[in-house]
Amino acid sequence: MSDNHSPVVHTRALTKTYRRFDKQPGLMGGVKSLFNRKYIYRTAVSSFDLDIAPGEFVGLIGPNGAGKTTLVKMLTGIIAPTSGEISVLGFIPNKLEDGLKRRCAVVMGQKSQLFFELTAEDTFRLFQSLYSIPEAEYRRSLDMFVEMFGVGHLTRAQVRTLSLGERMKMELIAALLHNPGVLFLDEPTIGLDAVAQRQTRQFLQDVNRERGTTILLTSHYMEDILKLCPRVVLINDGRKRFDGPTDRLFESYKAGMDEDIGSVVERIYSDNPDSSGNSSNSGNQGNLGNSDNSSNLGNPDDSGNSGNSGNPYNQDNPYNPEGGRLP
Amino acid sequence: MTMGRTTMGKILWNLRFTAKMIHMLVKMKLTRMMAFRLSFFGGFFADGAFFVTQVLAFQAIYGHADEIGGWGRGQTLIFVGTFSMLNGINMLVYFFGVIRIPRLIREGGLDVYITKPGSALLRLTFESVDPGCAPLLPLSAGIIAYGARVAGIHVTPGLAAGYVALTLLMALLYYDMEVILRTLPFFFIGASAVERIEGEALTLNFRIPGVFYKGAFKVIFMFILPYGVMATTPARMLTRTLEPSGLIHALAVVVVFTWFALWFWRFGLRHYKSAGG
Repeated sequence: MSDNHSPVVHTRALTKTYRRFDKQPGLMGGVKSLFNRKYIYRTAVSSFDLDIAPGEFVGLIGPNGAGKTTLVKMLTGIIAPTSGEISVLGFIPNKLEDGLKRRCAVVMGQKSQLFFELTAEDTFRLFQSLYSIPEAEYRRSLDMFVEMFGVGHLTRAQVRTLSLGERMKMELIAALLHNPGVLFLDEPTIGLDAVAQRQTRQFLQDVNRERGTTILLTSHYMEDILKLCPRVVLINDGRKRFDGPTDRLFESYKAGMDEDIGSVVERIYSDNPDSSGNSSNSGNQGNLGNSDNSSNLGNPDDSGNSGNSGNPYNQDNPYNPEGGRLP
Repeated sequence: MTMGRTTMGKILWNLRFTAKMIHMLVKMKLTRMMAFRLSFFGGFFADGAFFVTQVLAFQAIYGHADEIGGWGRGQTLIFVGTFSMLNGINMLVYFFGVIRIPRLIREGGLDVYITKPGSALLRLTFESVDPGCAPLLPLSAGIIAYGARVAGIHVTPGLAAGYVALTLLMALLYYDMEVILRTLPFFFIGASAVERIEGEALTLNFRIPGVFYKGAFKVIFMFILPYGVMATTPARMLTRTLEPSGLIHALAVVVVFTWFALWFWRFGLRHYKSAGG
C-alpha cells in the first residue's frame, strides 16, 4: 500500500474526543442521573499532525493524561478517531484490515499478549500461525532474538514464572517475529529494573538498525528517549508542543529557552520522579537520566543515538516539516 | 474470469487460515488445560455432574405426566436431549470464550485481540474450548435415541442427517444470541442485567417447548429472543411434526440473527473505547 518514500505514519488534524458521564456525587446524584444524564466532552488528542518516515525511531513523550496512549491506540486501530486524517503504511487503522495487522506490531507495557499458563514458545507458535510465518523464517527470527536477549533458557518456562523484565523480553520477541514494518511501543520499560531497561533499549536499537523497523516509542523514562530516539514529539493536553531533534528539546529545556516547553518537561518529571530510568537518580531532575555526566544531555553520540546512523534524524527530513522548531 | 479466480483463491486462503487458526487455538487450550492436572480432570467431573443435575430436573418436571400440551413422553425426551445437546455444544466449543467478552471490553483486554490478524471474535470463540464438556454429547445422544424409541419413531439416515444439520444451525443461533448480548458492553458498560435476562430466558425455554407459547410470549421467544426456536425445532423435525412454515421460520431466524450478530460485533468494535493505559 505504501512505497518506500511514503511516510509510514501520517496524521493530519487528528482529533479524538471522549464523552464522559458527569456523575453528581451521592445517592441523589445517582437518582438524578437516571433521568437527566449529563456528559462532559474531553479532547484527548487535538488537531495532531504527524509524519514518520520509514526506519525512523521516534519518541513520544508527555505528562500523564497528555494523550500519548490515545494517539498510539488510534494509530494501531484499537480506537477510532473523532475526526482528521490517519494512515499507517497506507492503511486506515480503524478499518482493522489484516493487511495492516500483518505489517505492524504493538507492545503495551501494561497489557500482555502472552498466555501465562503456557511457555513463551507456545505463544510464539500461535503467532506463527496468526501471521502465517514460514517455519524457516520463524526459526531464523526466533534464534536471532533469543540470542540478542540471551533468553534461550527461558522460552520453555511457563510465562507466569518469569520476572517482569523477562516477560517484557518475550513480549518484544512475540511482537517482532513477523518482521513488522512498524512497531508501536507504549511504555515497554515501565516497572523494569535498570539492567532489564538497558537490555531492552539495546535490543530495540539493534532491531531498528538491523531490520530497519520504524519505531514509535512512548515512555515516561527520559533515558529511553535520550538513548534511543533521535527525534522526539512532545505532547501535552492532546496537542503537539514540539517535534524535532531530541537533543534540541533538552538543550532548550536546560537553557530555559521556552517556558511552555519547560513546564511540560517538568511535569513529566514530577509525574514520574523515577523517570530517569535509573533508580539512583530518582528525583534528580537536572540529571535527566545520565548519571555519568549531566553535561552529556541530548548529545546524540553520547546518549547512544549514534547507533541510528542508518536513519538519522535531520532537519531536512521531509516528514518533519516543522524542522524541530519549537512552536 | 481472472478476477473470479482471484476471489475464489482469497476465499480458499481465508478458509484454510480459519481452519488452521481453530486447530491451533484448540491445541493451545488443551495444552493450557494440561498444565494444571486437577483442572483438566476436574472439568470432566464438574460437567458430568452438571448433566446429571439437568436430567434430574427434567425428570422431576416431566417424569410424572404422560403428556404435556400434546407432547408425549418420547417427544419430550427428544426435546430434553436436544436441549442437552445444544447446551453441550455451547459449553464444549464457545461458551467459555464468549463469556469473557464483556470483561475484555470493560477492562481494555480486547486490545491484544484487535491488533492481531484474523477475526478477534473467531479467536475469542475458539480460545476457551472445554473438552470436559465432550461427554455431554454422547449422553445427550443417548437420551435422544431413547426418546425416539419411546415415541416409536423409525429414524432413517435422511431424517437423522436433517436433525443433525438443524441442531447445528440451532447451536449457531445459540452462539449468535450469546455474542449479541455480550457485544452490548461496547455501548453500555453495565449490561449484566441483560445477561441475567438471558439466563432466565434459557432456563424457561429449555424446559418448555416453544410451541406452547401464545400471544406476547410467542412474539418474544420466537422472534425477538428466539430461544423458543432452538431445541423445539430439531425435536419437532425428528418427531415428524415440523411443518414447512416452522422450518422456514427457524432458518430465517438463523440467517437474520447470524447476520446481525456479525454486523453488531463489527459495529461494536468501531466503538470500542479501550479502557486502561
